[in-house]
Amino acid sequence: MSDLGAYALRFALLIALLGLVAGFRAGIGRRPEWTRVAERSVFVVSGCVALAIGVLFAAFASFDYQLAYVAAHSARSMALPYRLAALWGGQAGSLLLWLFILSAYSSACVALQRRQNRSLMPWVVVVLLANATFFLVLLCFVTDPFEKLPHAAALSDGAGLNPLLQHPVMMIHPVMLYTGLVGFVVPFAFAFAALATGELGDTWFRTTRRWTLVPWLFLSIGIMLGGRWAYEVLGWGGYWGWDPVENASFMPWLPATAYLHSVMIQEKRNMLKTWNLLLIGLTYTLCLFGTFLTRSGVVQSVHAFAQTPLFTTVFLGYVLATAGVFLGVLLARRKQLRSEQRIESFVSREASFLLNNWLFIALLMVVFWGTLFPVFSEALTGKRIALGPKFFNGMAFVPTLLLLFLTGVGPLIAWRRSSPSLLRRQFTLPAAAGVAGGLLIWAWYGSELEFYLLMVSALGAFVTGTVVQEYTRAIRVRVRKGEENALQAFASLLRKNQQRYGGYIVHLGVVLVLLGTAGSVLNEERLENVRPGSEIRLHGYRLRYLTAEALPAQHYGGAQARIALYRDEQPLAVMLPEKRMYWLEQQPASIPSIYSTLQEDLYVILTALEADGSATLKVYRNPLVSWIWIGGAVFVLGTLAVMWPHPNRGAGPRSG
Amino acid sequence: MSKGVQIAGGATLVALLLGWYAASNLEAGASFAYFKTLSEFQAAQPELIGHHARVHGYVALGSIQRDVAAKQVRFHVQGEPPHAGGAPGQPLEVVFGSLETPDLFKDGAEVVVEGRLSEAGDVFHADKVMAKCPSKFESAAGGPAAI
Repeated sequence: MSDLGAYALRFALLIALLGLVAGFRAGIGRRPEWTRVAERSVFVVSGCVALAIGVLFAAFASFDYQLAYVAAHSARSMALPYRLAALWGGQAGSLLLWLFILSAYSSACVALQRRQNRSLMPWVVVVLLANATFFLVLLCFVTDPFEKLPHAAALSDGAGLNPLLQHPVMMIHPVMLYTGLVGFVVPFAFAFAALATGELGDTWFRTTRRWTLVPWLFLSIGIMLGGRWAYEVLGWGGYWGWDPVENASFMPWLPATAYLHSVMIQEKRNMLKTWNLLLIGLTYTLCLFGTFLTRSGVVQSVHAFAQTPLFTTVFLGYVLATAGVFLGVLLARRKQLRSEQRIESFVSREASFLLNNWLFIALLMVVFWGTLFPVFSEALTGKRIALGPKFFNGMAFVPTLLLLFLTGVGPLIAWRRSSPSLLRRQFTLPAAAGVAGGLLIWAWYGSELEFYLLMVSALGAFVTGTVVQEYTRAIRVRVRKGEENALQAFASLLRKNQQRYGGYIVHLGVVLVLLGTAGSVLNEERLENVRPGSEIRLHGYRLRYLTAEALPAQHYGGAQARIALYRDEQPLAVMLPEKRMYWLEQQPASIPSIYSTLQEDLYVILTALEADGSATLKVYRNPLVSWIWIGGAVFVLGTLAVMWPHPNRGAGPRSG
Repeated sequence: MSKGVQIAGGATLVALLLGWYAASNLEAGASFAYFKTLSEFQAAQPELIGHHARVHGYVALGSIQRDVAAKQVRFHVQGEPPHAGGAPGQPLEVVFGSLETPDLFKDGAEVVVEGRLSEAGDVFHADKVMAKCPSKFESAAGGPAAI
């Protein structure tokens, strides 16, 4: 049965190579009949890959421990959903998932474009198939998920999956992340096709607008879910630690976000053509590079997989080749990419968008060099020096605050140039909102308040003021016309100018997420050893340790502490942090208990049950964390509003 | 001045400022993950007394003593994994001044201890203990405290 999967991958490789040849013939020779051949081979490859991943899922479901990969990543004691999710618990399977998502995107792209962009499609298909070919080669010859154990070594049970990965979020987080990372291949393919054919007008980016938004949304969700998982499972009190693998998923998000803004300048003013192409190239290269970082173990990380030298070399070569080829065609076309327009004034929307782009790139530089610092420091000095969260936070906070400021400024100033009277009319209300936001947070936290939280609150209120002003003015205009009430006007704004008004909702989501993360400057923590009946006090809370009991026997054992939580004299909750031991995997885990309110989270970890009957508890007070998850939801809704297909709108030009 | 020179000058200024800013943050935020193995550490011991150091080794079997009253954990670190066989060599006695040991800290665990050697040179006072699970698994998760 499992042989079927291996055969399917090898057949897919063959077809992908044939499709590549057909794509080149169609592209170079301008022979459209070969385009169809190339496009059909995409469907065949996708079918084969779907079959292969189906076979591997079936092997996990049916306890096929003859397969080395299944035996190494699952066990009989695991429930079916976790056994299935174990497919991406290791290297070979996660690469197969990558390929599966890639082929799904490829098929969707070819199917939806079958009547459009005929001259671009050969090169689009070439890029899609070239990427698929690379992963097929990896899966067939370097890291084969269908490799069998020798007959004598057949196992009756598997080794199990890392228990920290046995969590509901971990079933979807990697899929979301991959759907995000892989999806940037489509805009990348169109950018490449535009360069290859010399059709550098606005077709390529108008076609790829939604193809960029979809992966961007999934990547954002994936990053958020990763943070949520870390918060609820890893038990260190935080959600983001600037770990290399977290950074790997965050890096492509930065140029992609920059692109979503700067492409509007190209749309409106026909500027920054080269820059936009570069951003798309950079985004996809970073997606590949991130996968490489995660899968190669070049930078030590909590998530890093085992390293094999061949894999490292091959994959790094692939990343560099992708970037190199793209830069090569970009250079070859540089004369055609000259901009006819110039920035006329620094007080213009395009100037603010340009600054926004630089700041995103500055953030990218910080994350990139910070993540790779251990590698460079080892090469230069022989010492492997890792940079901690202090470095990243210290470096990121200035660009972040400036970006937040620009988020409010951008919508308020006009294209080309803004006059002083216009500026006054636009800025009065949002600026007042900003001051009010700052005063409010100061009144709330008093002397406890830190500079960063103050700035984020004030600038966040400024952005919110901008958004509210934009909405109310537009709604008022529509209502005055007399055909709509306020709610209808709101809906039709979102429908008729979804990019602009949906984008504002995304901005509100970002404000809330930043506010939530800024709350971390006020985090407090306390480690204490308590006997049953005694209390820990933290910031007005009292935690009375009641007792600890053994967990009922299952595939893990351990203990659960019972803690009564009070605020002053008022009982709030019973908290039940756990200390687990996963028998099969011989791995311990601390599962925190979290009492969450809009104002702050109280987060308790059972660090140890001591021999003398006492318990060592670690308690965190994390202000405003809930707003991260709320902001994430707003962000997703806003993005959906931006990309929602409205049947009554064609592919015509949009106003922004 | 031509526009090109102006831009180049501005860019240099910005780059210098950023460089200075990065360097200042580098000092604050660098957690020097560079460590010495136990034998390297012991060879260099006399000069290291009182200096901050990171030492890599393995927790000796049965050596962990949690002293709840004194809020500290004592254990021995040896240079070779205890299950590997062979002579364990001279172990290093470590006193960790907190009860907050990582999940993966246990007998035989691979650890990096960060701290100072006492004046007498016999005890290592750790202010940080990082643990790694045995590399039995392809994926090595374990929180940010893992190395």
